[in-house]
Amino acid sequence: MSKKPTLDSKIPEGHISEKWSSHKFNMKLVNPANKRKHKVIVVGTGLAGGSAAASLGELGYQVQSFCIQDSPRRAHSVAAQGGINAAKNYQNDGDSVYRLFYDTVKGGDFRAREANVHRLAEVSTNIIDQCVAQGVPFAREYGGTLANRSFGGAQVSRTFYARGQTGQQLLLGAYGSLMRQVDEGNVEMFSRREMLDLVIVNGKARGIICRNLVTGEIEKYAADAVLLCTGGYSTVFYLSTNAVNCNPTAAWRCYKRGAAFANPCYTQIHPTCIPRFGETQSKLTLMSESLRNDGRVWVPKRKGDDRKPEDIPEAERDYYLETKYPAFGNLVPRDIASRNAKEVCDEGRGVGPTGYAVYLDFGDAIQRLGKDVISQRYGNLFAMYHEITGDDPYETPMMIYPAPHYTMGGLWVDYNLMTTIDGLFALGEANFSDHGANRLGASALMQGLADGYFVIPYTLGNYLATEKPEEVTTEAPEFDEVAKEVQEGIEKLMSIKGSTTADEIHRKLGNIMIDEVGMSRSEEGLKKALEEIPKIREQFFKDLCIPGDTKDYNKELEKAGRVMDFLDLGELMARDALERPESCGGHFRVESQDEEGEAKRDDENLCHVAAWWFQGEGNLPERLVEPLDYEYVKPSNRSYK
Amino acid sequence: MNVNLKIWRQAGPDAPGKLVDYRVEDIDPSQSFLEMLDKLNETLVKKGQEPVAFESDCREGICGNCGLVINGIAHGSKGGCTTCEIRMRQYNDGDTITVEPFRAKAFPLIKDLVVNRSAFDRIMSKGGYVAVNAGSAQDANLQPIHKDKAEAAMDAAACIGCGACVAACPNASASLFVGAKISQFTWLPQGQVERGSRALKMVKQMDHEGFGDCSNHAECEAVCPKEISIANISRMRREFTKALFARS
Amino acid sequence: MINLKDPGISSVFKKLLTGFTGLSLVGFLIAHLIGNLTLFAGPDVFNAYARFLHHFMHGMFIRVAEVGLLAFFVLHIWSALSVQYSKRKARPSQYEVNTYAGGPSKRSFHSMYMAISGLILLVFIIVHLIHFKYADHDAVGTMKLENGIEAVNVYKLVVSSFQGNFGYVLFYMLAMGVLCSHLMHGIWSAIQSVGLTRPSTIPFLHTAGMALAIALAVGFFLLPLLIFMMRGTFDPEAVPDYSSGHAALTSLTSFFPAA
Repeated sequence: MSKKPTLDSKIPEGHISEKWSSHKFNMKLVNPANKRKHKVIVVGTGLAGGSAAASLGELGYQVQSFCIQDSPRRAHSVAAQGGINAAKNYQNDGDSVYRLFYDTVKGGDFRAREANVHRLAEVSTNIIDQCVAQGVPFAREYGGTLANRSFGGAQVSRTFYARGQTGQQLLLGAYGSLMRQVDEGNVEMFSRREMLDLVIVNGKARGIICRNLVTGEIEKYAADAVLLCTGGYSTVFYLSTNAVNCNPTAAWRCYKRGAAFANPCYTQIHPTCIPRFGETQSKLTLMSESLRNDGRVWVPKRKGDDRKPEDIPEAERDYYLETKYPAFGNLVPRDIASRNAKEVCDEGRGVGPTGYAVYLDFGDAIQRLGKDVISQRYGNLFAMYHEITGDDPYETPMMIYPAPHYTMGGLWVDYNLMTTIDGLFALGEANFSDHGANRLGASALMQGLADGYFVIPYTLGNYLATEKPEEVTTEAPEFDEVAKEVQEGIEKLMSIKGSTTADEIHRKLGNIMIDEVGMSRSEEGLKKALEEIPKIREQFFKDLCIPGDTKDYNKELEKAGRVMDFLDLGELMARDALERPESCGGHFRVESQDEEGEAKRDDENLCHVAAWWFQGEGNLPERLVEPLDYEYVKPSNRSYK
Repeated sequence: MNVNLKIWRQAGPDAPGKLVDYRVEDIDPSQSFLEMLDKLNETLVKKGQEPVAFESDCREGICGNCGLVINGIAHGSKGGCTTCEIRMRQYNDGDTITVEPFRAKAFPLIKDLVVNRSAFDRIMSKGGYVAVNAGSAQDANLQPIHKDKAEAAMDAAACIGCGACVAACPNASASLFVGAKISQFTWLPQGQVERGSRALKMVKQMDHEGFGDCSNHAECEAVCPKEISIANISRMRREFTKALFARS
Repeated sequence: MINLKDPGISSVFKKLLTGFTGLSLVGFLIAHLIGNLTLFAGPDVFNAYARFLHHFMHGMFIRVAEVGLLAFFVLHIWSALSVQYSKRKARPSQYEVNTYAGGPSKRSFHSMYMAISGLILLVFIIVHLIHFKYADHDAVGTMKLENGIEAVNVYKLVVSSFQGNFGYVLFYMLAMGVLCSHLMHGIWSAIQSVGLTRPSTIPFLHTAGMALAIALAVGFFLLPLLIFMMRGTFDPEAVPDYSSGHAALTSLTSFFPAA
């Protein structure tokens, strides 16, 4: 077992607005000629991984980049629709780095690290410059300047977008840069590889073990540092808006090697998704939150009102967000929008065949702006909705319901993005640092690119220059040991030969997770989850069925390995939620609400990061604490009224 | 509803392949086509048989990972959507549906319906970008871009790299993919510096990968989930010609 | 720079070549058709036209044009066939089921069988050349034009050819059908191949290309058909009577001065 981590956040001294610039100056540099001698492994090719691998390649490091898809361009960042925030203040509406910082800390319900968030806000402006320089076709005004839209949780217009494809366009920018480095020989690309374990040599992360998803070969890779950019774990709920291959396995295996996992219970349930229709669904579809700019959310005032929406007169509609939160209206942050939707549906006022949906109505907007403008703004989203549901949103209100979407929790990292294992860094959604207990819309893309383009190139250099890692190759005995463990793990799964599929177990877990560790959580429910999950795990190890061969393209084997980790992670999420008896951001404990039913934080006892430290199979992990100091944004009641 | 399927099964790149008959029952019409295949696979797995290997990821039409030829048309007959966006309500009870992989020499088959599309990555590595290092950019609003041009660039940039254009092309040509990428940058001031070399290098790599030549059938546009116009192919040819004359 | 010695010359370059030569050949067809139409004006105009073509610029024009045409044909055939060749290589295993996608697709019977229609046309062109260009011109004799110059009586050659044998007319009819098919896809495709389309012009050019294809085929076929059917009007032995002072004819023949 590794040494107990101290959770030293390594926040630089000085005023918040100076911390990053002084830190950049104080960090050690790697001589340009020496960069070539350092090997870096980057796992994942989304916005964080793609931009990190490209930037490190540009600097001259020898980079090895890994992804599970057939091409780096398919990483799930591609699916982000709405936009990316930046404190450009192009709209002259009072935006500033400090305001973005403030909004993000407040939006995160005072559970994020101030210094990280400020740095994120600082570099946000560089990201837009960088992406425009790469040829990302952002939306423009008639004068040729960049267009902005507003997003939940902000009173300024600071979101840049490229139709409903912002994620894909930003990712193509990063992917293009990555492919340029591949062509120049600085980055070696390994697609269709799944990282299954981390290799630690002399206490430092020095390599990874992968399974080649085509040949089934177990492969070993060595480097001076490992960057984990593997995204989040929303798929633990089975039904989520994430891609079906999104998984926490790489991060989870690192956790098992000693990287502390922070705030696993902070998950975001996105308010504007297409409601669930049945048991056979494989995923939920997100409709960009930008829809709330022009759409009005409502439900009938009367319970069980099953008239068609167009037959319900204005006076009998409850625009509950607008009445309850007059200042922000339909643009309240995601957690609030989601929880309110659940509340009205639980009251029996939900709509649609399942009763678990609310209307998002564009009638007024179409009347005010015309169909053309609405179609220009949301055309592709409307088309997608029409296709999936069979309803035309130009004619009848959309129906939406919240769905798991993003996970704020992740591997604990310090200010330099290094986990509690030396040489192992976590970037983007895979880490925990910037969004606290709730992420604001259009901030995920910002964080992924900030970490990859503008943070890691500096902090990794500092690590390498300081640590001067000694030469290690895959010949080191540690590589063989870990590879052997991975191989044995796979064989163990293959040997079960039962009759339950990995998906069936995953669905079972997902149901418990969404019911007990979803939008609202109670002590009772969480305890129930902690009882149920081990039973599912037992079934998994007793009755799992994987046909086929390990030395082949074998999707069922891939899924089984991931479901095994989902079971562990789900349990940890429940445990973390149980140990946080307050409501904050995406984590709503029913025991902790005020008279009006709003979330009630417990700043006195719980204003900290909870990072879980693995203690070996079968043992309870240790809960470590990093206190959070709010020097600049004083925790206040997060009111959007 | 129930459907009969004829699915291409092939154990590996060099193994012989054939269409195999399956039947899937009790389908919810709201289910997606891939969820119907999931259902089939779950039955196969429970019987201890190997499931049909196919790829998908985002299941909302943007990652470009899924791609099947359904009844002879890449991404199915609906048009303007990916395989994962197809809903079963489009079919009738009792329909027989043939499912095949994308077929092209440049997309070698891996297993069943899974093919290797890394040829696209290699084409992209030859110029599908603006060569600008992180950290060297000027303020984003310094260079205004005409809204129409930004929109035209976006039209071309909408490509998701699924490869349906290649699959649908009677010649297995990648012209729409390459044309779209080259076009995107011609509309933007940032793309001007490498404009000529990009066209020449990407076309050269496209040929090198073993894609066929284009015969202007426009099947590619018809199956493109993002409805990218073959005018981009025309534009690629203009760019290529200009670059040839500029170079010689 | 494209290396022309490279056996795998860029597909786009070849496509430009196919398109450019194709468009030029369409231009030739249009000129050819207009020339043919002089036949309706009678033997003297037609023969004067033929003589003019052969004597213009001391015969240099026709020689250069012929060599040029031959080169264009060869390039067109070579570049187009290499597309066919690449197509076979690019998809070694064929689809079990393959359907036209519809919508904006321009795929059709015509577009799918361009190589075959092209090769049939090649056969036709060879027959056509043997029959008219390399025919025994002495056998048809000459005719005195209005300006007193003796010209080969090509009119007689053409008219008697089509009146002599319905099979020959039929052969032309079929050939023009194939030409129509080739151009139905060919004209628009050539414009697309040289990169002269925009999103907004594609539907128009596609339709206009098909219209031109039909017009050319009908135009070319009209002549043999009318010659065959209207024996009274088209007389191979016709000798114009210049003494009657046919003003219109005089002005028409003067278009083609004795070079």
